[in-house]
Amino acid sequence: MADMGVMALLLGLALSAYCAIGVIIGEKIGRAELVVSARRALYMTTVAAAVASGALINAFVQNDFSIAYVADHSNTLMDRAFVWVAFYAGNEGSLLYILLTLCVISAISVWFAPKRLARSMPWTIAILAIIQLFYFGVLAFAASPFELLETVPGDGRGINPLLTHPGMFSHPPLLMGGLIAITIPFAFVSGALIAGNYGDDWVDVARVSAIIGWGVLGTGMLLGAWWAYTILGWGGYWAWDPIENVALMPWLVMTAFLHSIMVQKRRGMFRMWNVALLNIAFVLAQLGMFINRGGPVVSVHSFAASTLGAIFLSFMLASLVFAFALFLWRMPQLKSDRAMESFVSREASFLINNFLFLAVMVVTLWGVLFPLFSDLARDVSVSVSAPYFDRVNGPVLLGIVVMMGVGPLLPWRKASARSMKQWLVWPTVFGLVTIGVLIALGVQRPVAIFAFGVVAFVATSIGEEWWRGTIARHRSGDNWALAWWRLVNGNRPRHGGYIVHISILMLGLGIIGTNFYQQRTDGALALGESLVLDNYRIEYVDNGDSSRPDRIAQWAEMSVYEIDPKDYKQEISFAKAQGSSGFILKDNTLRPNDELIDTIKPWHGFYIDFNMASVRSGIRSTVVEDLYVIPRDFLADGRVSLAVSINPLAWWLWASGPFFILGTMVALWPQPAVEKRPTRKRLKREPEGDI
Amino acid sequence: MIGPRAIHTSPKTVIITVLMLSFLLGLAGCVRESDITLEQRSHQLGGELMCPVCDGQTIDGSNAQIAVDMRLKVRDLLDEGLTNADVRDYFVLRYGQEILAAPERSGFNMLAWIIPVLIVTGGIGIALLSIKNMRKSGLKAQASGGLSIAVEQEQEDLTHYLTQVDRDLGISSFTNLRVDSDNESDELDDSRETKTPEKTIS
Repeated sequence: MADMGVMALLLGLALSAYCAIGVIIGEKIGRAELVVSARRALYMTTVAAAVASGALINAFVQNDFSIAYVADHSNTLMDRAFVWVAFYAGNEGSLLYILLTLCVISAISVWFAPKRLARSMPWTIAILAIIQLFYFGVLAFAASPFELLETVPGDGRGINPLLTHPGMFSHPPLLMGGLIAITIPFAFVSGALIAGNYGDDWVDVARVSAIIGWGVLGTGMLLGAWWAYTILGWGGYWAWDPIENVALMPWLVMTAFLHSIMVQKRRGMFRMWNVALLNIAFVLAQLGMFINRGGPVVSVHSFAASTLGAIFLSFMLASLVFAFALFLWRMPQLKSDRAMESFVSREASFLINNFLFLAVMVVTLWGVLFPLFSDLARDVSVSVSAPYFDRVNGPVLLGIVVMMGVGPLLPWRKASARSMKQWLVWPTVFGLVTIGVLIALGVQRPVAIFAFGVVAFVATSIGEEWWRGTIARHRSGDNWALAWWRLVNGNRPRHGGYIVHISILMLGLGIIGTNFYQQRTDGALALGESLVLDNYRIEYVDNGDSSRPDRIAQWAEMSVYEIDPKDYKQEISFAKAQGSSGFILKDNTLRPNDELIDTIKPWHGFYIDFNMASVRSGIRSTVVEDLYVIPRDFLADGRVSLAVSINPLAWWLWASGPFFILGTMVALWPQPAVEKRPTRKRLKREPEGDI
Repeated sequence: MIGPRAIHTSPKTVIITVLMLSFLLGLAGCVRESDITLEQRSHQLGGELMCPVCDGQTIDGSNAQIAVDMRLKVRDLLDEGLTNADVRDYFVLRYGQEILAAPERSGFNMLAWIIPVLIVTGGIGIALLSIKNMRKSGLKAQASGGLSIAVEQEQEDLTHYLTQVDRDLGISSFTNLRVDSDNESDELDDSRETKTPEKTIS
């Protein structure tokens, strides 16, 4: 198996090298057949990568522990379903997975590339082939997953316990796939620039491929947050960890790009800007690869840590130089067709939104790099973690949400005062009413109240637009559902965008709720004891052992009661006096109004070989709030030590996922030919004179 | 040809609005420490102190023994009546600045906080300036009978005509609706609203 894998990698290396050289020479000396043959070589690299991946997966299936990577990342005890996870559980395998993804999406996008890009395709293929060449080279020489062990161990070390979670089937592949997918729009645009294809021919293909990569990356991040919430026992879902940040940064830039590419598509403006955004996103994705594989910052995600730092740093710098040299070279040709007409127009609002996204990105980058900078500048180590990023990025992110409510309401070119007033009345009213109601209800934390007001403002602005559009169609005879469906169908990029905006609002609700209103308490319970926090009583009723040879594991069963605080007046005031949020009850007699609402089974495991603990939190989730119980440890005296929290609105974080995916799909779905009105488009293009 | 008045917004108004909004946000950021229980404060502090042996985790999130001990210590110190700042200082003295999850706002570390402010204000400033410049260049081109506006005007007439054709043919039954202005027909809508751009731009 190992030999086959190595051969496949070397073959892939040769093929991608041939492809890159062949396509460039063929294009330069005008040999069409060489270009065609090189293009076919690009398809064949996919086969090479697939064979190598197949060889590795097969080695896992057969428990071939003579291969170091297999011995390191699996054992005979491992659930066979996790073979797929083990495949990318470490540095070498994840690189192979990334390469496989790159090859597959390269082949698909070259195959389906529109005919009008024929002139720039050779260069696009060359760029894709060079990037593939890099990965084949790294895999073949620097980080081979097929390295053999001299003495074959009887059993492997096992998979990293943190990865044995259903979320791991999708989170890492989506995240890595999303990052590498940024290569595709980058290759299309760079190819067009090299070929001197300055028109907007690449806009559609770049937009579609960018949305796919962006959607995949966003979904991957959300799944990662969900995984952290349910398994890691950090008590959180997003820690502004360097590895999280390097995935977030390209996503932010891509988000900016997806907005401003619409301006180019519709108005022929922002060409330079769009190219620059794609370049930045691509370089940031390479930065992510670098920091992930042995970068200079500490992170909780050290799954792929390796000594490849220097190689990936060089590749990142090379892509930076290439992308921006190309950009500067072709910049004079990337003029806008039209001028900006007003500060109050959709173009202008998109540009401001772009700068806000970039600001968050640069600030995050600054936060990631500041410890390095401090080390170098004055030899003092500092940490930059969640409290910093919350403080510096929070306000800007809120600003972006405000723009999300205003921007889409503005027409292209210029807004009139009357229409603006007309459109902003209801959102503003609802935003203010929300703030007023929250204050009247005695809700604390002014920032959060303001943020809720902003969410209401944006939600109303979307609702208003849908309402008016639907009602107008309804009047012309459609029933309500059909009317709304026709509205969405009539302009999918726009309404898909709205659906994504709604998912962001849901995410916002969850972020505000959990960040500002979380209640926490810690305590250790013996069997029969209960812990009370707010209006929950958690009674420790049973426990059990689920150890296996590779781990010591226990679960605890807890009954969750909803209580009436009146029954517990004495204890509550006593706890308050002590400065505690919760308290422990020694006896298990129930009070009159206690009502059993749920049973949770948190689990705690310790993996001996990895010297690592892994937990499953016990979660009772409702739309309003999550009761979240982390078993920190099972103590020697039989008690279980718990971190209990109430996370308001956490449900909305995960509910946003399906909407995010749905919105992305709607925005991607091709427009039917009739609505595209090709005649008009062609007429519109002619005056540009750049084809 | 009489459209509603276009909004005249100078960059100054926009900047003032932005400044006022950020001021309000800043005001809203002042949360009183006294409202919350000691336990909440200790959790909050736990989120501000890094666990010295774990990569990139705070003591609040970590299950390592040292994190457990540090959490207890934080609570003890708070029980003794120390302020949050005192507790932070206590740990900085023993573990160095690295123990803080966010750099202090003083001395060299001030850079960590100032630069983001510069980035954000600079970013917004550049955005507004470039919009202004893009507007100006458009006006100039127009003044000298530049191509772009002329082309646009021509296209607009064409758009009108084509939309009319579409409507007559019944291809798209809803082009006459105001809503959904981003549809392919929105250039028609926009032009209807803000006819004669020459007059409204000033």
